[in-house]
Amino acid sequence: MASPAEKYTLEVDGRVLALTNRQKVLWPSDGITKGDLVDYYRRIAPYVLHHVARRPLTVERYPNGIDGPSFFEKNISKGAPSWVETVPVPSDSGRRDVIRFMLCNDEATLLYVANLAAIVLHVWTSQAGSLDVPDFVFFDLDPFDGCTLATLAKTALALRDLLDSVGLETLVKTSGGSGLHVVVPLEPAYGYDICKGFAEIVARTLHARLPATTTLERMQAKRPAGTVYLDYVQVGKGKTLVAPYSTRARALAPVSMPISWDEVEAMARKRAKETEPEFARFTLKNAPARLEKRGDLWGAEYWNEQRLEPALKRAREVWT
Amino acid sequence: MAHAIWSGAINFGLVTIPVKLQTAIRTNDLRFNFLHKTDEGRINNVRRCSIDGEEISYDDIVRGYEYEKGRYVILSDEDFKRVNPEASQSVDIVQFVDLGEIDPMLFDKPYYLEPEKRGRHAYALLREALRDSGKVGIAKVVIRSREHLAALKPSGDALVLELMHFADEIVDAKSLDLPAQEKPLANEMKVAKLLIDTMTEAFDVTQFRDTYREEILAMIEARAAGKETPKADAPAPKASNVVNLMDVLQRSLDESKKSRVATSSAHKSAKKSAADDEEKPKKTARRKTSAA
Repeated sequence: MASPAEKYTLEVDGRVLALTNRQKVLWPSDGITKGDLVDYYRRIAPYVLHHVARRPLTVERYPNGIDGPSFFEKNISKGAPSWVETVPVPSDSGRRDVIRFMLCNDEATLLYVANLAAIVLHVWTSQAGSLDVPDFVFFDLDPFDGCTLATLAKTALALRDLLDSVGLETLVKTSGGSGLHVVVPLEPAYGYDICKGFAEIVARTLHARLPATTTLERMQAKRPAGTVYLDYVQVGKGKTLVAPYSTRARALAPVSMPISWDEVEAMARKRAKETEPEFARFTLKNAPARLEKRGDLWGAEYWNEQRLEPALKRAREVWT
Repeated sequence: MAHAIWSGAINFGLVTIPVKLQTAIRTNDLRFNFLHKTDEGRINNVRRCSIDGEEISYDDIVRGYEYEKGRYVILSDEDFKRVNPEASQSVDIVQFVDLGEIDPMLFDKPYYLEPEKRGRHAYALLREALRDSGKVGIAKVVIRSREHLAALKPSGDALVLELMHFADEIVDAKSLDLPAQEKPLANEMKVAKLLIDTMTEAFDVTQFRDTYREEILAMIEARAAGKETPKADAPAPKASNVVNLMDVLQRSLDESKKSRVATSSAHKSAKKSAADDEEKPKKTARRKTSAA
């Protein structure tokens, strides 16, 4: 903290980036430094950018590593380079009238962000230019105390099958912590109210089918042990999702990793008591190799924008 | 759920027992956010320099010790590291003492030690030997790069490492105004002891509950239920419930379609007025532009 900042520069797309403190340890238990974080995002930049570009970005910064204090930052930092793009969004709370969110549209911005020790990248589900219409709905499947890996995986599969029964395709990723995120890619044609209403119908229907292993209870203290919390409340303007390939502030430097449904089926057969060790297999260290081998499992070839009207029509027939 | 703080070893004499240090105390505190009274905006703490008024990032903050009014000695991370003991990740037992010799006031915070596979036998042996002899080990241990004094004691099937205060952390009771020890009257003493006897029972810590926490939690639940979307509290969804939601959604979809048609034709007639940036999504193609 007090050592004179070690500075270095990096040229990216014709821009000279002034970066600092490569040696600063961010993950003390693993000896992973800020330089490692910058290198990670450099190596997989096209994959990350595909998912964060044009989306208002909130960064979760850990200036002194994951054991130190952290804070969320929505507004662009004062010292940011002038070329970092932003989008103004009227603030619905607090003193500031407008929040200027960063748009991480290129590699230089991504590396500038990494150099802020921004360990977790949170993005909106809609893009600048059409901030009122999300292009996906996501479900956060959050295992509660005592929920096994198999229970979580089976819940995710049941959600996939439920949506499949009305003709909607889904994609899945690890949260990087203990849960799974399931997304339904949509045409950016529906407002947040519609998406939220849809998410609630799905969550309630799933809960009705899996009453013993799922809960819709928002109060942690009232959730039954061993269940999966179906969080559909995270759908809304300004609500965010941990970006695919974002690192997390946990030991081993896990990342939020898109996985295939086959992998979820394999998890459903495992005996693991806890979900986190399974998901902590995907880390800053090995994610680039996996990406280079398997490609982006949330990439354009897997991402089909879908419409809600036909799905609702089918749902009226098969879910009720 | 248990969470290993480090993996290391118990050392004494020539014996090494590989163990994991695990938390033993769950923090049950309720967490509150500070909000702006009028609009419920979250309150941010801003670190501001008292000289130039600038907002300061953590990277630009150093630790200073005020050794006389307005004058500081700056210590860097490196300085702290230099003084810090080697983070040896071990419990080094320096002596054994009778448990009764230690004033319970010195105990601060317990951790569990869990043996690694190859340490199980030695772990059980040390535990039983301690139990049998009524002794505890006095050890030095490093947790989060700070050295602590600790006592190693058996508790059920576990070895518990209890962090201890150093002697100079305990406030001397002499600084308080306390009555000196004097011989009380025999019959007063008898009555007091009788009272104690009648209230004496076996100690069961589970009899005691944090009622403050429970009452606050109940209050929060009640308020949350009365406030907007208590949807999650509703009974398990019956089909009819979902049908209603579907009706609502269908209406919203129909309405949004109508308004979309209306706005897009309005746009055409206005011949692309500027600043329609926020209005219409640019569709499909944009996702693919930055595809890897």
